[in-house]
Amino acid sequence: MTPRIQKRCMILLSTFLSLFLMGNAAAEEWSAILEKAKGQTVYFNGWGGSDVINDYVRWAADITQERYQVTVKHVKINDIGGVVSRILAEKTAGKKSEGSVDLMWINGENFNTMKKNGLLAPAYAQLLPHHTLVDFENKPSTLFDFTVPVDNMEVPWGMAQLVFIYDTEVVPLPPTDMNALLAFAKKNPGRVTYPVPPNFHGTTFLKQALLELAVDKEPLYKPVSESVFAKVTAPLWAFLDELHPVAWRKGRSFPSNSSDMKQLLSDGEIFISLSFNPAEASNAIKTAELPPSVRTYVHSSGTIGNTHFLGIPFNASAKEGALVFANFLLSPEAQARKGNPTIWGDPTVLAISKLSPEDQALFAAVPKGVATLSPEELGTVLLEPHASWVEALEKEWQKRYSR
Amino acid sequence: MTLVLEHITITLNNQPLFTEVNLRVEPGRIVTLMGPSGCGKSTLLSAIFGNLAPCFRLSGEIVLGDRLLNPLPMEQRRVGILFQDDLLFPHLDVAGNMSFALPAGTHRHDKKQIISESLDRAGLSGFEHRDVATLSGGQKARVSLLRTLLAKPQAILLDEPFSKLDQELKQSVRSFVFAQIRTLNIPALLVTHDPEDAPDEPIFNLGAGNA
Amino acid sequence: MQVLGHNALRFFPYLTLLAFFAPVVVGLFGTWIPALGYLPAIGSKEFSGRIFSGLWLHPSFPKAVWVSLISGVAATCLSFGLSLFITIQLYGSRFWNGLERTISPLLAIPHAAFTIGFIFLISPSGWLIRLVSPGLTGFTFPPDLITNGDPYGISLTITMAIKETPFLLLMIMGGLNQLQTKNIIWVGRSFGYGTFGIWTKLIVPQLYPLIRLPLLTVLAYSLSVVDLAILVGPSAPPTLGVLIDQWFNDPDLNMRLSGAAGASVLFTITLLAIFVVLLLELFVRKTTTGFLINGKRNYLVDRMQWSARMLSGLLWLTTLLSLLILVIWSFTHVWRFPSAWPTDFSERFWQKTIPLLSEPMLVSLSGGCLSTLIAVILVLGCFEYEVYRGRTSSYSVGRTSRWLIYTPLLVPQIGFMFGVQIVFTLMDIQGSWLGLIWVHLIFVLPYVFLTLAQPYRNYDQRYMDVAISLSQSRLISYFRIKLIMLSKPILFSMAIGFSVSIAQYVSTLYIGAGRFATITTETVSLASGSDRRIIAVYGLCQFLLPFMIYSLAIVIPALLFRNRRGMQN
Repeated sequence: MTPRIQKRCMILLSTFLSLFLMGNAAAEEWSAILEKAKGQTVYFNGWGGSDVINDYVRWAADITQERYQVTVKHVKINDIGGVVSRILAEKTAGKKSEGSVDLMWINGENFNTMKKNGLLAPAYAQLLPHHTLVDFENKPSTLFDFTVPVDNMEVPWGMAQLVFIYDTEVVPLPPTDMNALLAFAKKNPGRVTYPVPPNFHGTTFLKQALLELAVDKEPLYKPVSESVFAKVTAPLWAFLDELHPVAWRKGRSFPSNSSDMKQLLSDGEIFISLSFNPAEASNAIKTAELPPSVRTYVHSSGTIGNTHFLGIPFNASAKEGALVFANFLLSPEAQARKGNPTIWGDPTVLAISKLSPEDQALFAAVPKGVATLSPEELGTVLLEPHASWVEALEKEWQKRYSR
Repeated sequence: MTLVLEHITITLNNQPLFTEVNLRVEPGRIVTLMGPSGCGKSTLLSAIFGNLAPCFRLSGEIVLGDRLLNPLPMEQRRVGILFQDDLLFPHLDVAGNMSFALPAGTHRHDKKQIISESLDRAGLSGFEHRDVATLSGGQKARVSLLRTLLAKPQAILLDEPFSKLDQELKQSVRSFVFAQIRTLNIPALLVTHDPEDAPDEPIFNLGAGNA
Repeated sequence: MQVLGHNALRFFPYLTLLAFFAPVVVGLFGTWIPALGYLPAIGSKEFSGRIFSGLWLHPSFPKAVWVSLISGVAATCLSFGLSLFITIQLYGSRFWNGLERTISPLLAIPHAAFTIGFIFLISPSGWLIRLVSPGLTGFTFPPDLITNGDPYGISLTITMAIKETPFLLLMIMGGLNQLQTKNIIWVGRSFGYGTFGIWTKLIVPQLYPLIRLPLLTVLAYSLSVVDLAILVGPSAPPTLGVLIDQWFNDPDLNMRLSGAAGASVLFTITLLAIFVVLLLELFVRKTTTGFLINGKRNYLVDRMQWSARMLSGLLWLTTLLSLLILVIWSFTHVWRFPSAWPTDFSERFWQKTIPLLSEPMLVSLSGGCLSTLIAVILVLGCFEYEVYRGRTSSYSVGRTSRWLIYTPLLVPQIGFMFGVQIVFTLMDIQGSWLGLIWVHLIFVLPYVFLTLAQPYRNYDQRYMDVAISLSQSRLISYFRIKLIMLSKPILFSMAIGFSVSIAQYVSTLYIGAGRFATITTETVSLASGSDRRIIAVYGLCQFLLPFMIYSLAIVIPALLFRNRRGMQN
């Protein structure tokens, strides 16, 4: 953690503490929100490409309906950017309330964009009773989304860490760093690839490779500048130049996203897939999407991790309902279920130590899953480089490999 | 009721199609209109029927009984028409075609009776539920006429109605049609270019307009 | 019609124009203005050509333009050539009759569903290779071949060509019905001309004007398609349509301006391509007069019937196989390479999915029915007004209005949807049923209009004259005689309109504001990367609705008029 981030952590922490002290007022405010939320319909816009996740959202929606009389509709979308566009169009048209989106699944660049352009509601995360249970102390990415301060303008929902998936029956010993991956690809031509940038996972692969290969990592956490970029990224391009000729389809075609990678792994076209969900392999075994022999591994120097969030747009129609649903998603009950690899397997953002013994038991009862790594095995979490590197990397990648 | 055509001329681009027509058809009479093809026989029928194409100009008066037809739309003229094609509605059976011509208020039972009597007269007893497409040419022509008559027209126009029938059929259909019209006692105007089609009644020769 | 009132009828053309044409024009402007740099919501208020010039600096842009152009033009040529070849070789044969009967269910297959199946057929780990592996090929792992998603867009071209050929064939069938094809062939034969000679010298010159516009829609569609290109198109760089879509979805809001500019470029490219085709047509007309009258009667190609049979057979087979694969996958539990057949079956994906699909199916059904119904009423009103005008003046629907009708099909959807979205938001009808139906109407109306135009205009108006004189009522005659006599083509045009509405993806997404989950938005959102077994279930359900409606359009009149020989053709 850089000193600057540490400082911001401290400031935020003290905010939370003071909020805690005014507990009573907060409780009253919350019951008013609960009251107002009754009967509202929340349009939750989130990626709908995973059946497992869709099932989980449906479960949470059913309970929210039952307990709080809030109806939740999951708007399944391909790319949250389209939703940002729509909110932008609404802003263009001067629609300051009754917008079409109440709650959205968001992080990283999209959050940065929405925050910068005033498309999010003013700070609200602190209103949620369960917000205090979040493990801000040990999970810095819950406070800084791709180094952008969250400022309570989005609610942490789940943790992500880049993991690789392979089939033990095909690959006895997986490569545990980028150079080993290159050697592996040379030995198994056509069996290694990554999603096409600017796809989220594709860009993450580039960042992971850069973090591993760059000699001097310090500049990666500062805004990118032209002079530094060429020097720092040179080893990355050298690596990719060597990888592509032995990559899947000789680097002339790339999978469109990580789900596509999973399908290719299942078909035997590629030998290594990647995911941001450490429990994805266990889950895929359960649904028979992948063979029972698949396992997960990470690179020895650690892999990139981040947090995904829930955001409320500035013109949400059912803001209270959205808060209520977000609070439920943040509850130990919902978080424990989400962590179950047979359900979804998305790691919790909560600090187990802050929970009551009963709630701790909920988490203790969650099975780990045959192909899921333990927190120790997952190793070091590498922080996302500064958000400005994303665009620079994508541009350069396109210039070299997509023209 | 008498059909009277007074000082009728029809022009296309200011060219008259035929010399001025003055004609009087008494009830029960069938006047035959003859003339070379393209002289405007059918156009004259259209003018009486009420669907003259907009490119033509009509002057003169068409009077049926005590009504001036010129300003009336087709549906108010009460003029029936028979074409060389039977134009039986293909989606309805024989009875359906005929009952379409009966006034809307007619009771179902009465309708049935009227249709069956009318079919009997035409020698088509029991044909009520036949598909019109399966009828022979002569049968179609007869049903078509019966249908026209059931609507109780005050005049009837016959636009070469026999030209598609073969020689033997022509004879019987023709006498059937003429007999029916006479029984109903309405004026009729027949267009044909076959002199044999004409009944033993006056023939009106339409003169070419440019001549 | 007097009883309906000419005054009332007079409004139909205007209403129709408002329904489908206005949004396109408004949407185009709504896209061009941001393309010139004006989008106050993101703080961009300066008009300039900066964004356009910036496009060419984007590394992927030139190649994306190139790939789109090549694949779009190639797919159009291929499907046009193929459909013409099949027609020429097979017209009048029993095989041809078979094609005529089976073509509509083929058209009912949604692009997305077909493509998903087709990819699995041809990919290196697909069914074709699994069937012969490892026995014949020795493959225990799929070979590293580029059979789909190749950088040249060949697989995209082929997919589009396969999907568009039946559409063009249907249009050709309609055109041939309008010409007196059989007579022309007899006349040609009597002069000793062979099949190829008759077609190229006598029929095609008359047929072409009748299918020119459908051909241009195929061209416009192929140049700008997004969902198909995401599935089988090249990935680095993608086609221009996909690139624009990425820009509209980019986390950086400034990319919306590039998206709008790219959309305007795509629009221009489409116009240019259309213009080139028209020029080409002129050129061919000018240079082939000699060929047309050179008197040569027999050509080698006359002996190629077998190849046309094979080609069309292959076309039909591929489509059916793609569908069959979806059926198999939807019941699969485990199916790994190189097994030729799933090793484990399960019906749990159906069980699980069906209850979830009832709502999207209902939304699709209601949206489809409503927009189709409105479209049919508007179109019938327009045609009836045309009949009335035809009788009272020399008015007739000329070439201009035909081009107008085609506008929504000739303008790339992605080229104006962003603008429509802004305008609908301003009107506060985004995310409402009104907005959804309206945006569907933009595309449903032209198809209904086009499929109904010819049968409606060919209707023998003397039936109406007779009916009016018999019943003394225009309304009764219209509803009980004309409409019912035309029920077959009307129902068919409704089926086409309905399936167009069902297939709407981009428009539903942009205007539905997430309020409307249709079977298509659900399917495509899953297809972006999920379990193939579940995608298969969704894809099949997406096919089910239009298939049902097509079947109804065929079965209802067949049942109703089973004893009416006169209604059978």
